[in-house]
Amino acid sequence: MLADLMASQIVRTVLVGAAMLGAISGMLGAFAVLRRQSLLGDALAHAALPGVCLGFLVAGARDLGSILAGAFLTGALAALAMMLITRTTRLKTDAALGIVLSVFFAVGVVLLTHVQATGGAASAGLASFLFGQAAAILASDLWIMGGIGLVVLGLVLALWKEFKLVSFDADFARAQGFPVTMLEAMLTIMVALAIVVGLQLVGVVLMVALLIAPAAAARQWTNRLGMMVALSALIGAGSGAAGALISATTRGLATGPVVVLVATAAVLVSLALAPGRGLVWQALSARRARARISDGRILAAMQELAEAHDDPRYPAEQGMLGAALGKAPAPGQFDALERRGLIRAVTHAPEPTPHWQLTEAGQRAARSEEDDKT
Amino acid sequence: MRDDTLHEPGQALHVEDLTVSYGTAPALWDIDLDIPPGVMCAIVGPNGAGKSTLIKATLGLVRPVAGHVRFLGHEIGAMRGRIGYVPQRHSVDWDFPTTARDVVEMGLYRSLGWFRRPGRDARARAMDALAELGMQDYADRQISQLSGGQQQRVFLARALVQDAPILILDEPLAGVDASTEAIIIDLLKRLRDAGRTVIVVHHDLTTVQSYFDWMVMLNVRIIAQGPVRDVYTPENLRAAYGRQLAMIAVPEGGAV
Repeated sequence: MLADLMASQIVRTVLVGAAMLGAISGMLGAFAVLRRQSLLGDALAHAALPGVCLGFLVAGARDLGSILAGAFLTGALAALAMMLITRTTRLKTDAALGIVLSVFFAVGVVLLTHVQATGGAASAGLASFLFGQAAAILASDLWIMGGIGLVVLGLVLALWKEFKLVSFDADFARAQGFPVTMLEAMLTIMVALAIVVGLQLVGVVLMVALLIAPAAAARQWTNRLGMMVALSALIGAGSGAAGALISATTRGLATGPVVVLVATAAVLVSLALAPGRGLVWQALSARRARARISDGRILAAMQELAEAHDDPRYPAEQGMLGAALGKAPAPGQFDALERRGLIRAVTHAPEPTPHWQLTEAGQRAARSEEDDKT
Repeated sequence: MRDDTLHEPGQALHVEDLTVSYGTAPALWDIDLDIPPGVMCAIVGPNGAGKSTLIKATLGLVRPVAGHVRFLGHEIGAMRGRIGYVPQRHSVDWDFPTTARDVVEMGLYRSLGWFRRPGRDARARAMDALAELGMQDYADRQISQLSGGQQQRVFLARALVQDAPILILDEPLAGVDASTEAIIIDLLKRLRDAGRTVIVVHHDLTTVQSYFDWMVMLNVRIIAQGPVRDVYTPENLRAAYGRQLAMIAVPEGGAV
């Protein structure tokens, strides 16, 4: 079946296009996420809609070149507006983002409905820029995407250490004399480029997912920036290709949203399973840690209580040991320690609750536990 | 065109008429300040006194509305790379995917120049700087796995690796453990004794006298500046801190 699908020129074009888009936005999304600017991508993407309509109006036809130029222009305008709002008013970044995103998008929707009402048959396709229309991609568009991808890759490689420094600690970079504003602007412009490239395929509404999702997934698997950027590009490309194939197998599955869903699935899997940072891994290691603390720490806690009471055979109440350890050990654990001859059960009238006392062997074990710690 | 004539070259840091304003109230007002070379200087003052703003303004990170700044007679633009800067630890995201040695190598990025990547030499220098702070065993650790004190030491190593004649540190002892504090102060004193100028925003008045030989007392305006033994007086402390002083240290042998 795969061979049948791949025989189709349209499917091949969409597949390659989606994979390239995923790689570009994955690579740039890694920097956007690390700089906490992932939502800026969302504002830029929504702000591209009025540009799409303006490009159509200026060209008078569905000319991709002018439409994408318009999208890039209004996206840049939105980024500028954001910067002005945060610098000149007391509004914080999130509020500025919300304002810019909704205003530009509202203007875009107004323009879109107006153009559609008056623009005749040619304008009908404009609505596809909302959610993307993969089938509209032409083989010639792939060359544009590939070109942009190469430029972005070249810039990221050439300015690798500068981008890394600016993303980690912009103040330090500025104190060192790096042109931080220019470097940050370059990163933002590249994100805007990636968004423009993705408009046809994914649309303005969902584009941000392709920036954030691959980066968020990649971050889970590595602690190195280089690996994260490479993985992010790879996950983006994989999601693009997989989404394109899935949507090609069934009629009526829009490619863009499916690509986004695949990328999101990659995020979920990564959040759950990645070693070190994954939820499952963390739960397991927390459980191992709990199991590991018990024996040694139970003895140490008993020893501490014994010292505090100046009585090596101090009968420690089981509940009190739980409180001292922060978490009650399993009851079977005390029995196991008793079988090993380290503690013994005692009664401490009038309390009916179980009490435990360190044996001589237990005292020695507790002391060596303490030596290990220091 | 840059003015090449030196202005006050005898001072490690010379600040004149510096005024910084965020909105209506000035954060710094008419600061005149001189710090001679080879001292270890504390900048102290109550919360909101403008200590960090003063540092950022001298480094060109905050734009002043008036005044000028010179390091060893030069404008800051001519001194880039020759001033080691240690920002507040909480100013960055420590979950950034990078290692301790990688962060220290960032101190060498400027001297590498555009497009060049750090190589074996940079790695060796970064390791030396980490070793100075007792952090050589943590070089390959992801930075979020370090304790607060260890993170602070990595930050200091990043400034140290530049081998700069002037070091400026913003609250390097805030929230660090006692052993880190001892290591950092010991290193700073050695740097001072080797002729470097060390300028530290400091929050703990009880240790000013034992750690520093020079101090600047700040509360939006300059309250006093000079050798610690001259400046650390009840009158100056009261002028800088006002009522807050009841809760902090009183200079030895003097009641407030």
